[in-house]
Amino acid sequence: MSYPDWIVLILTLAAIIIYGVFKSRTTKNLDGYFLSNREMPWYVVLFSIMGTQASAITFLSAPGQAYTDGMRFVQYYFGLPLAMIVLCITFVPIFHKYRLYTAYEFLERRFDVKTRTLTSFLFLLQRGLSTGISIYAPAIILSSLLGWNIYWTNIFMGGLLIIYTVAGGARAVAYTQQLQLIIIFTSMFLAGYLVVKYLPEDIGFFDALKVGGAMGKINVITTGVGENGFDWRDRYNLWSGIIGGFFLALSYFGTDQSQVGRYLTARSIKESRLGLLMNGLVKVPMQFLILLLGILVFAFYQFHDAPLFFNQTQVNKVSQTTYANTLKNIQEHYNEADSRKKEIVRIFSAGGDADFSDEHKMELIYINNQRDSLRAEFKKLVEKPDIKGDANDTNYIFLRFVLDYLPKGLIGLLIAVIFISSWGSIAAALNSLASSTIVDIHKQFVNKKMSAEEDFKMSRWYTLLWGIFCIIVAQFAYNIGNSLIEAVNILGSLFYGVILGVFLLAFYCKPVKGNAVFWAAVLGEISVISLFVLNENKTINLSFLWLNAIGALLVVLLGFLLQFFTFRNRKFS
Amino acid sequence: MEETNERPPVFKTWNGWYIMVITVLVAQIILFIYFTKYFS
Repeated sequence: MSYPDWIVLILTLAAIIIYGVFKSRTTKNLDGYFLSNREMPWYVVLFSIMGTQASAITFLSAPGQAYTDGMRFVQYYFGLPLAMIVLCITFVPIFHKYRLYTAYEFLERRFDVKTRTLTSFLFLLQRGLSTGISIYAPAIILSSLLGWNIYWTNIFMGGLLIIYTVAGGARAVAYTQQLQLIIIFTSMFLAGYLVVKYLPEDIGFFDALKVGGAMGKINVITTGVGENGFDWRDRYNLWSGIIGGFFLALSYFGTDQSQVGRYLTARSIKESRLGLLMNGLVKVPMQFLILLLGILVFAFYQFHDAPLFFNQTQVNKVSQTTYANTLKNIQEHYNEADSRKKEIVRIFSAGGDADFSDEHKMELIYINNQRDSLRAEFKKLVEKPDIKGDANDTNYIFLRFVLDYLPKGLIGLLIAVIFISSWGSIAAALNSLASSTIVDIHKQFVNKKMSAEEDFKMSRWYTLLWGIFCIIVAQFAYNIGNSLIEAVNILGSLFYGVILGVFLLAFYCKPVKGNAVFWAAVLGEISVISLFVLNENKTINLSFLWLNAIGALLVVLLGFLLQFFTFRNRKFS
Repeated sequence: MEETNERPPVFKTWNGWYIMVITVLVAQIILFIYFTKYFS
């Protein structure tokens, strides 16, 4: 990185921290620290919800996802608007009515302490580990591309935000998220504008989409139905998006304290609802635009040299092994294909649709398939036992483009975007981990009689401790393997469904009581983990996205069965 | 403590908002189907 990039990066990050500390003045009690005294307007709630959900990976991975797999990833968000409606009808009024600090408090009111403790424990376990991985995932990308030390990158990625998160709690988190999203969207828009500008003179935005479309990348809607019927392993299609995505969004926004804590800061039910519904309106178009950026980058690389593999560190790693000759061979074939690809797209560039015949399109598809095969061949080398590298370069695609082609200064700004988008979600996670620890655990089992001032001080300590814990997890995250983003998503799917099932029983199934729900949750969790293990062993074919729906439905079903066949004649809490 | 039945902006009831969110989602899906077909 050049000096201007360093200056932009440091100034942007410093601005966020200073703004966060400036906005950290709040009352010294739990209401002030965790809920901003419940005085936030809907647009701050909206930004906070969006900033919590959108991590660095959202902005790094989505364009890369569009580059490799097309735009169908957007379907993953189709269930979200529907989930927002259910939340507004059921969850929000109840959470506000009881003036809760955490979602799990409600479970004690409805069921008993053990159900509340179990769900908050599942949340703390899942959120604590996944936040650690969320620190490591963008840190390893930056470390790999820029040659930074991974341990220090982890510390900066997960550490600096602790300053304002500890100082100002939910209020500082919400206001910094607002500023962060403004910077992120401006930078992404600038990047999109420059991709189009860097296309050949005769090629405009619309032509770039045509190139992407011809290569099958504009597959926004897919049904998941193939020759053998519906493919349950297919992750992103209309049905898994609407059904699986609905359950995932309902679990995440309704039962994950990192999100519940955001809309509980609203000054009224009305403001909470507006924040959530606006999120339902803007989320799908926002994801669509981020994926569109990936299509533009794809079109750009049709006219320019595209790297064989976007993570150069892995290429260097292979070139220093006995597979160096094989790599050279692959690279030569790839370069030949890449040159021919550029010749063909230039015909399109020179003559437009008229000169770009079906034969040209077919040849371009053939060459792209050939390039994909060569990339796959290289990935096999990376995965060899004696190399054990990261064979997934999806998250490197957009950043590789940024580093290779964008002007000085903007590179620094886009690196800052990675940091601050991470900070937004990590800060909310730390705030929620601390709130659940103090409200659901500490004040339940350690010290029930704490003054408001003691609550406040202890909350700050827990925020700091969770911050340190997550950085430690990040430092050990390389042991998990290469699919870090997938690890976060799978981790969520293992627990979210069960927690949602408990909440669905709480809201909609009055006859079911505490003991039945508790054991339904325990059995449900065991079943979900078993299904996951069976899938990993290839005994069954099931995408992890379905685990949310299965977990939730299983807990509801087991709750009813246990209530009516086992606990019916006993006294309940 | 806020009123649970406070009126939403723009529409008379919250149902108006819910219908709008669903309508926008359906419209987006239809638009995406058209978009996919057009460019493929």
